[in-house]
Amino acid sequence: MSTGSLAAVVMVAFFGAMMCLAPAVTRPTVPFGVRVPPEHARATVIRRERHTYQYRTAAICACCTVIAVLVHGHGSWWLARLVLLAELAADFGCYQIARRNITAVKHAERWYAGHRQVMATDTSWRTDPPRFPVRWLMPALAVIAATVIVGVIRYPDLPARLAAGFGHRSAPKSVVSAFAIVIGQVYVTLLWTGLMLIVYRSRPDIEAADPAASTRRYRRFLAACTRAILILLALVDLSLLLAALGEWQVYRASGPGSALPVLPLAVGLLLLAVVTFRTGQGGSRLPGPSPSPGGRRPGPADGADRDDDRFWKAGLIYLNRDDPAIMVGARFGVGWTFNVANPMAWLVIAGIIAVPAGLIAIAAATGL
Amino acid sequence: MLLSIEPDGPVPIYQQIRDRIVEAIAGGRQPAGSGLPSTRQLAVDLGVNFHTVNKSYDLLRQEGLLRLSRKSGAVVQRDPGSGPPHPDWSRDWAARLQTLLAEAAAQGLPAPDILRACQAAIAGFAFPADNQAEGQP
Repeated sequence: MSTGSLAAVVMVAFFGAMMCLAPAVTRPTVPFGVRVPPEHARATVIRRERHTYQYRTAAICACCTVIAVLVHGHGSWWLARLVLLAELAADFGCYQIARRNITAVKHAERWYAGHRQVMATDTSWRTDPPRFPVRWLMPALAVIAATVIVGVIRYPDLPARLAAGFGHRSAPKSVVSAFAIVIGQVYVTLLWTGLMLIVYRSRPDIEAADPAASTRRYRRFLAACTRAILILLALVDLSLLLAALGEWQVYRASGPGSALPVLPLAVGLLLLAVVTFRTGQGGSRLPGPSPSPGGRRPGPADGADRDDDRFWKAGLIYLNRDDPAIMVGARFGVGWTFNVANPMAWLVIAGIIAVPAGLIAIAAATGL
Repeated sequence: MLLSIEPDGPVPIYQQIRDRIVEAIAGGRQPAGSGLPSTRQLAVDLGVNFHTVNKSYDLLRQEGLLRLSRKSGAVVQRDPGSGPPHPDWSRDWAARLQTLLAEAAAQGLPAPDILRACQAAIAGFAFPADNQAEGQP
């Protein structure tokens, strides 16, 4: 049993559970990627589809986790990943069924007829922008520094061949093969920090009916989510440090002990899941002052969020040529996604793929 | 300042943005000297083309309500407390008002109703204390 395949089993269980719980954390006015006016957010069809989706995805998660546990002892590390892909594909199918059924009722009953469809913003988001919590990045940087220090100390005593990655292959001893995990730590940390910085410059995910209160909730959501992601980054780096210590023969773990490197990753993912479950997408589950202080209770005259279903392909991929945003709030679950109609978004995606691909190509070409 | 537009409405988006900013200035929510988001930021926040916001800001600049500079960005230049406007502007505005009120009269709205609507609109404006009485119709 390798650490890598164990991590894959954890991923199957974790992502399966996340997909099952996603409707609970999604904004109530966007069930299964379908924009609905607030008064229809509790429609019978939505409640029915939510229950059906949750039963189906719970069953898929249970089956896939059992299969992943059964196959991961057979040494084929990619099998568990294949199970993960199959699980996500099945969940995606359930999502599409729910989306199609809700869309059909929405159009048949003309839910948006007579609604003012508005796009709202609170300019205080720009004139008094939220600050990125740089201090929370320190634990991740400290873990990377610790990994480098241990690596430098251990390097002279390392054997001529080293286990690469999570122990599937081995490679001749070199600075690159010995410090591959450090490169991984730096990449993951920079990637997520960069993405969060883009998110801080993106628009808040706010409701047209009460922009002031929803902007305040979004601020709290972003602050909590960013801190949870930065803690997760530190724990991912810690998982990689523990894997590196095993690789550098600082300790030898066998049996259940070999699962040690996965533990921080699992704790980090659990923490992020708890935070996002408490906040909901864009802070939709947070208790908040609504209506805004000194204001009146919002009503239909304030308008409903614009029916923007046409910009969401398959209810998940955002494609709007008129929108200059690079990233926008995700349609399903908690998080953000790219506006794939924006060339800048493709530049960022290309950077995300090109950096590790380039590093691997350079390492292969130079024989390091 | 809260700003909402109807992207699929009959009024052009740049006009809606311009109108909402004028209303915010009149209502005291965006006083003279206060900053507005950059054109790019507001375009991202409203999910509209950058040139659309640029057109709104340029319109407000031509009307003397906004000052645009590379250093300080978009800053509100006038508000209800800034003193009387230029006589040329007042003449143009009176002509536009004449047409607007004529539309109501042509549709059969009685004069007291037109006056009440004007009064209700003015009630939401942030006139300074010394010209409050003059502001009342």
